[in-house]
Amino acid sequence: MTNITPGLLMIVAAAFVPYLPHHIRQVFMLIAIGFSAVSLFAGEGVHWIIFVFGQKLILHNADNLTLPFGIIFHIAATLNVIYGWHERRPMEHTAGLAYAGAAIAALHAGDLITLFIWWEATAITSVFLILASGTQRANNAAMRYLLVQVASGVMLLAGACLYWKESGTIAFGAMELGSTGTWLIFLAFGIKAAFPFLNGWLQDAYPEATIIGTVMLSSFTTKLAIYAFARGFAGTEYLIWIGAVMTAFPVFFAVIENDLRRVLAYSLNNQLGFMIVAIGIGTELALNGAVAHAFAHILYKALLFMSIGSVMYRVGTAKATELGGLYKSMPLTMIFCIIGAMSISAFPLFSGFTAKAVIMKAVGYEGLIYVYLVLLAASAGVLHHSGIKIPYFTFFSHDSGLRPKEAPINMIIAMVIASVFCIGIGVMPTQFYQILPYELNYQPYDASHIVGQFQLVIFAMLAFTFLMRFGFYPPEISSTVLNSDWFYRKLAPRIGKPILLIANKIGEGANAFLIKFTKQFISRISHIYQHPVTGPVTPGPAAIALITLLMCVLLLTNIF
Amino acid sequence: MSNLNQRLKKMGNYASVSLVIIGICLIISEFFVHRHGEIKLEDFPVFPVIYGFSASVFIVVVGIGLRYLLMRKEDYYD
Repeated sequence: MTNITPGLLMIVAAAFVPYLPHHIRQVFMLIAIGFSAVSLFAGEGVHWIIFVFGQKLILHNADNLTLPFGIIFHIAATLNVIYGWHERRPMEHTAGLAYAGAAIAALHAGDLITLFIWWEATAITSVFLILASGTQRANNAAMRYLLVQVASGVMLLAGACLYWKESGTIAFGAMELGSTGTWLIFLAFGIKAAFPFLNGWLQDAYPEATIIGTVMLSSFTTKLAIYAFARGFAGTEYLIWIGAVMTAFPVFFAVIENDLRRVLAYSLNNQLGFMIVAIGIGTELALNGAVAHAFAHILYKALLFMSIGSVMYRVGTAKATELGGLYKSMPLTMIFCIIGAMSISAFPLFSGFTAKAVIMKAVGYEGLIYVYLVLLAASAGVLHHSGIKIPYFTFFSHDSGLRPKEAPINMIIAMVIASVFCIGIGVMPTQFYQILPYELNYQPYDASHIVGQFQLVIFAMLAFTFLMRFGFYPPEISSTVLNSDWFYRKLAPRIGKPILLIANKIGEGANAFLIKFTKQFISRISHIYQHPVTGPVTPGPAAIALITLLMCVLLLTNIF
Repeated sequence: MSNLNQRLKKMGNYASVSLVIIGICLIISEFFVHRHGEIKLEDFPVFPVIYGFSASVFIVVVGIGLRYLLMRKEDYYD
C-alpha cells in the first residue's frame, strides 16, 4: 500500500467526486487524502518503478526533501476540503482534489518524464478552479494561465529530452546549469516559481479564480516549483540574485494594488523570493530555511487568502476601495486575518519568524550583505502590504456601510486549524525544525534576535501610521496596475496584429497567384493535349529500336 | 459621521499612541540587551529601527511614483 505514489489515490478519488452527494463527498475526499498520506510512511528510497519504451520511470521516490513538502501538501489539501465544505457544486472539489494529488505525485517523481506528466497535470486540473468562476473575464484569465503553464511543461519536456541526450539519464537530481537542456528545465521551473518578468500569470490568474479556488491555487503550483529548484538547482548562484529581485519588486506593486486578493498574490511572489535566495545559497542551513519557509508560508498564505475569501463570500468583493470597518461584523475572521498577517510579517511567536530566521541566518553566514539588506527591506515591505494593508483596509480604515454575517462555520474551522499551525510553528521551533531535510541546531529565540525583530516590525508599522496620519499614504483607487502580463496581453497583440495582418495579406496574394498559375498551366496542357500540332503521335519501329539501343549504351556505361 | 467611523477613529488613535510607546520602549531596551545581528552593519545601535522605518517610507514613495507609470483604468484590458 505504501508503495503507491502519494497523491495518486487522490487523483483516482477525484473521478468519483462529481457523482457523490454533497456532505458524503466532502468526507470521501478527506478519507482519500488520509489514505494518500499513508504512503508518506514508506520511508526513504525508491518504492515504485515502471518501464516504458525501455525507459525506467520512477513513480515513487521518497527522501528527506520530499517528506516535508509531502506533509504540508496533504495538510493544505485537507484545509481546502474543510474551507470549501459549503460549496455544493462539484467542479472545484473535483479539480481541487486532483490538482493537490497531481502536485503531491510530482513531488515523488524520481525522473524528469514522470515529473513532466504531473507538472502538466497540475496545470490542467488547476485551470478549472479559475474556469469555475464562470465569468468571461475569468475564462480569459484561465486560458492565459493555461497557455503559460503548458508552455512551462513543454519547456520541461524539451529540456528533459536534451538533458537525456547530453547526460544519458533522465533521473531527476542535482543539475549543473550550462547546456541548453538544463537551461530549458531551469526556465520551466522559473515560470512556475514566478520569476521576475515571468510572474504575470500569478497575479493575473489567482485573483480571478473562485473563492475556494484561490486558496487551493495558493498552496501547490509555486511551491512545487520551489521543491523542484531545491532538488535540481540547489547552490546555483543565479538564484540568489533572481530571488533577491523577487523579494523586492512585487512589494511596490502590492502597495498600489486595490484588489486585496491580488495584493496577496504579489506578496506570495515576494515570499517565494526568500526561498529562491536560500536555494541559490544551497548549503544545508539555507535549504533547511527554504523548506521551513515553504512549509510555514503555505499555511499563513492560505490563512490570509481564506480570511479575505470569507469576506468576499459575505460581501461579494475583495477590493480595498469597497471594504472597511468589518471588524464588528466579522470579528473571528478579523482575528484569523491578523494571525495570518502577523505570521507573514515574522512577528516573534508566529511561524514566519521561526522560518525566515533560518534563511536570514544562512544569508548572513555567507556574508551576502547586499542580499541581506534587500531581504530585510523586503521583510518590512511584506509587513506593510500583507501585515497592515490587508487587515487595515478590510476590517478598519473607515465604515464601508457593509454589515455582513460572520463567515460560515466550515470556513472558521479551516481558519482555526491554519491559525493553530501558524502559532504552533512560531512557539515550538525545535519540534518544527525536526521535519526539515537536514539536522538544525538553531534557537531563534534569544533576546537579541527578538528585540531586533520587534524593532524592525514596530518601526515599519510606525512608518505606515506616520504616512497615514499625515496623508502621505497613497489612497486606494480602483484601477489596474500593469504587470509583466502586459507584454502578452497588450504589447504582443499590438505588435503582432499588424504583422499577422500583413502576413495574412501576403499569404492570400500568394495563394491567389498559385491558383491562377495552376489553372493556366492545366488549361495549357489540356489545350496541347486536345489540339496536337501533327495529330496523334506513335513511335515507329525505327524509333523504338533507337531508344532501346540508347538505353543499353547508357546502362552498360553506367555499370562498367 | 457614523458611529462606527467615530469608533474607528478612536481605535486608530489608541493604536498610534500605543505603537509610539512600544517604539520608545524598544529603543530604550537597546541599552539593556546586547543586540547583535547576522551581519556587522546590524550591530550598529538602533539599526533595525532606522532600517525598518526608512525602508517602509521608501517603499511607499516608490509605490506612489509607480502609480504614475503603471496605473491604468480598471477596464484597461477589457
